[in-house]
Amino acid sequence: MERPALEALGISKRYGNREALRRVNLVARPGQLHGLLGPNGAGKTTLMRALLGLIRCDAGTVEFFGRSQDARLKPSRYSLRSRYSLRSRDRLRSREGAVPDGVAGFVDTPAFYPYLSGRKNLALLARLDGDGGARRSHRVDRALEHIGLVSHADIAVGSYSTGMRQRLGLAAALLRSPRLLFLDEPTSFLDPLAARDVRAIARRLADEGAAVVWSSHDMAEVEELCTALTIVNDGRVVFSGDVAELRQLAPSAVHLLRTSDDGAALHIASGRTGVRVASTTERALEVSADVDALDGYVIALGNAGIAVRSLERRVRSLESLFLELTGHGRGREGPTSASPAPANELQAPLVVP
Amino acid sequence: MSVRGVLAVAGVECSKLTAQLKTRIVLAACVAGPFAFAAAMRVQSTAPTDTLFGRSVTESGFAVPLVVLGFAALWVFPVLASIVGGDLCSAEDRYGTWTTMLTRSRSRREVFAGKVLTALGFSSLTVAVLAVSSVVAGVLVIGSGALIDLSGSLRSPAHALVGVALAWATVLPPAFGFTALALMLSAGTRNSAAGIGLPVVAALAMQLYAFVDGPDVLRQMLLTSAFGAWHGILTEPPYYGPLIHATTISAVYFVVGLTIAYRMLRHRDIGR
Repeated sequence: MERPALEALGISKRYGNREALRRVNLVARPGQLHGLLGPNGAGKTTLMRALLGLIRCDAGTVEFFGRSQDARLKPSRYSLRSRYSLRSRDRLRSREGAVPDGVAGFVDTPAFYPYLSGRKNLALLARLDGDGGARRSHRVDRALEHIGLVSHADIAVGSYSTGMRQRLGLAAALLRSPRLLFLDEPTSFLDPLAARDVRAIARRLADEGAAVVWSSHDMAEVEELCTALTIVNDGRVVFSGDVAELRQLAPSAVHLLRTSDDGAALHIASGRTGVRVASTTERALEVSADVDALDGYVIALGNAGIAVRSLERRVRSLESLFLELTGHGRGREGPTSASPAPANELQAPLVVP
Repeated sequence: MSVRGVLAVAGVECSKLTAQLKTRIVLAACVAGPFAFAAAMRVQSTAPTDTLFGRSVTESGFAVPLVVLGFAALWVFPVLASIVGGDLCSAEDRYGTWTTMLTRSRSRREVFAGKVLTALGFSSLTVAVLAVSSVVAGVLVIGSGALIDLSGSLRSPAHALVGVALAWATVLPPAFGFTALALMLSAGTRNSAAGIGLPVVAALAMQLYAFVDGPDVLRQMLLTSAFGAWHGILTEPPYYGPLIHATTISAVYFVVGLTIAYRMLRHRDIGR
């Protein structure tokens, strides 16, 4: 099997008493769009910061393309012996090391010098990367074209919208011809059209062999875009594997059903297998069922003379699983249930190696 | 750490500085200030006799840069030394650009060294511009007459010019000391107002202490005293003891300030 572009194992980071990351593993392969999914505050950005060398880890190892980046680790205890051991000295030296060539990305909303134009900002970053005169200018122009900012390239970044800064951040990353790209919620401030373009760029990079780690809190986006994903919650990995594997684990989708007689509809559901119905505070029923079971249930309602006034999908199946994994499942929202609450098989952290 | 990497960072910092209005205003003030002073001396009937070389300022243009030098030592040099150094690290915090800068091909050490180089370069440039402007203003507005030095000896214009140039050169070590102090405060407080303002406040406090009857050891450690080390150059025979002491003290401030600043940047978690 091809060597992973990124292999981060056992990454831990503590801020005071709070464990921001707890022995997190993340492996991304060349050509893979790897989703890093989790609710706000789960540790996604902290993990990306750690991998990009912006913060020091308390434990763990990191390899980019098989080359150790352990550099970014902090020895947990500074004893004289460990301090002067070769290994410790190596760690200390590389901790402050530059991001290797071919590795790029941004965390949070990318930031630039507001008094300089987008083009000038990119030129300075290219200069930091060692690009000289004509080559620098050419690369900057290409990056601006890629992200569709040519028309605003000579305007001061201070007047850019957050979305434009996000696109400029992607351009700055593209300047490094990334083979491993970290993108932290890259579409969060973009309009749908711009978000589609950014996803297309990420896909194209993956098609060309780059590994893209795409952080998001949007399951639908990751499901559409990524082939593999790691879900983190409260600083821990709760799932890691292919999207296809996750689909197999996913419970049924949840629909919101409005009928002419909810009481009768609940009664009919209680006699059917594969259908779980609960009443909600929205004067509607929440139905968990796969497609076939749902079809059968709706037909049964019709046969019983109960009108189906609306049926809308509330939670997609993977989203439902994501909510369960991250501790925000339906069971915690507390709808009034007319049928026994299903056993929550996914309450415990689930890690697929 | 590579020299190429440090120069790349310094080049980027210089590009940022040249794009800032603040930089241009400071340099313009360094050019215009001495001319305004020389013009004022030319038109007024009295001379500032209570300052070194004040009596000669209406007779020899070479006295103008020395009067400016004495005045600038009060707070102008600390300001000039801090105005860029005190903002170089904290500006990255203000704009949130540490993450942008530190996710490129340059290590923290290179980034820090490049910033230090830029800050020292700017401090040197302002001192040089102020010196040249003072000399030119003095010669053009007052004239290039001979200068009476601190021993009462008359110096020819060429000899006076050398003395003035050396006197201004002695300002560089304490200016670098203040630049290091500003960099340290900029990195430590992450606040540009503190990075620029606190060294100036420190300079004023040091000058106040010089008037107080405190322990002599502390007096020996005052960085502002180093700005007056040039007096020995303009005597016959010259004496260099204060200059050596001033350079040593400046070196201590420089090394300690930069070491602390670098350690803070090196060990810092960026973005939190």
